[in-house]
Amino acid sequence: MTDLFLESSHWAILSGIEGNLTAYKAVLDDIYQQAIPVDAMYILGDVVGLHPQCSELLAQLRSPQSGELTPQICSGWWEEQCLNLHGLGPDPQGLALKEQYGDEVFEILYKAVPREDVEWLRSLDFGFLELDNLLIHGSTVSCDDELTPDTSPSVLLDRLIRADANQLFCGRSGFAFEYCFESGNIASKVTTLEGKETPISQSLKPRKVVGVGSVGRTPNQAHYCLYFPNTNNVEFRSISY
Amino acid sequence: MKIAVLSCIHGNLEALETVLNDIEAQGCDRIICLGDLVGYGPYPNEVVDRIRSLDIPTVQGCWDEDIVEGLNACECSYPSLLAEKRGLRAHEWTNQVVRDDVREYLAQLPLSLRVSLREGNLCFVHGSPNSQHEYLMPELDSFIALERVLSSQADVLFCGHTHIPYVRSLDDANISISVKQIHPKSSQSTPIKQSLSTPIKRLVNAGSVGEPRHGRPNATYVIYDSQNEAVGLREIPYDYKKTCAAIIEQGLPKIFAWRLSQGLEFAEQADDPQHLCQR
Repeated sequence: MTDLFLESSHWAILSGIEGNLTAYKAVLDDIYQQAIPVDAMYILGDVVGLHPQCSELLAQLRSPQSGELTPQICSGWWEEQCLNLHGLGPDPQGLALKEQYGDEVFEILYKAVPREDVEWLRSLDFGFLELDNLLIHGSTVSCDDELTPDTSPSVLLDRLIRADANQLFCGRSGFAFEYCFESGNIASKVTTLEGKETPISQSLKPRKVVGVGSVGRTPNQAHYCLYFPNTNNVEFRSISY
Repeated sequence: MKIAVLSCIHGNLEALETVLNDIEAQGCDRIICLGDLVGYGPYPNEVVDRIRSLDIPTVQGCWDEDIVEGLNACECSYPSLLAEKRGLRAHEWTNQVVRDDVREYLAQLPLSLRVSLREGNLCFVHGSPNSQHEYLMPELDSFIALERVLSSQADVLFCGHTHIPYVRSLDDANISISVKQIHPKSSQSTPIKQSLSTPIKRLVNAGSVGEPRHGRPNATYVIYDSQNEAVGLREIPYDYKKTCAAIIEQGLPKIFAWRLSQGLEFAEQADDPQHLCQR
């Protein structure tokens, strides 16, 4: 039964639209042109940003047209900054935003996201555990946790084990990458106060961290990925628009 | 060089004095403390005074932080809900009795200390390199244990917080990796194979001087000998009944005296011993 379900499953996973409606529409066109129909779409945060199309994008995401996929959306770094500006986040002074983008973006972001959408942003999930996959903006550590192909393997593995997931899909870095742990083992030993020594041998089952790329960050070039749960294959898509 | 590492004194002056005597008898050259000087026990000011009088390098524990910052507990600060309720009562009492200078001292404690020796690098933290509140239990996933040691950039990572001493040696770690990165102008890329292997690393938990949870009331600490890289787990009997009596005299919950006399409190059994702090 599970195999029957998985066989037909085909996911589109994207992140980092950052208000860029044009890029999002280009990705949607590509999704709807897939030979194997996509039956689930996940957006791993950063739907809002400084782009002037932000409010139009939010309207489309919140009310997909008839026949369109309804995306599962989780919160990202830009959503957290937006909530901060409204006194609803953990950093009400917006120090992280100021540090990375300067004072001038406060007003732009504040105006880009209509007040009526702020409560909706607040209701977004932190991430999704679907099958044995964690779909999240950063990691379970925080939405600011930036995982890249250059992140230490021990850190990436830690993020997988913390979440008890075999695959971790993330978007914070904006990079598109597939980081596969193929095998591994550690021999260790615990010695207690009583002098008892317990050997522990642990092997690593295959696991992976996938950066899904960014839809809206790079001008005229959108990245996202397709995922086939049945085969565990990831296909990266690069769309010019 | 012999380094004595102690942790989790928790206002238990009687236990501290006995351990200090043992450290001297063992001929240790240095002492390092992994924090939690206060909380639960009846002598928080006196313990801090004693540590300061000996100029013992100390990292900030979760209790030290909470007395400075106000309670900063997440779900992993206490091993169970019952332990959390009792911890809150201990916090209120300790918060009332600590002197201002003690609070200032606790506030300036670092989160980690390092000692570089010819024989290797040592790092000292209270809970883990991530957080004072994270429990590194002896049965922790090997790969996570390795990550914690690697993130400290040490060969030996000393921690406390669990109140149960142990040594975890991590040998022969090998991980095979394949990395594929997609470049901005392309959706094609060839995976690059890599492998990671690490030399032997160790995780050493110093146990607890003043509030042991290994099933006996004795104080525990560790001695690290840098010459042969040996770790000795020490268990030191002391007159715990004196501390138990002082706990009751000071008006602290009697359960703390009972718990101290047992070296264990059933409510202290972690609901989820594998829980990892998400901070």
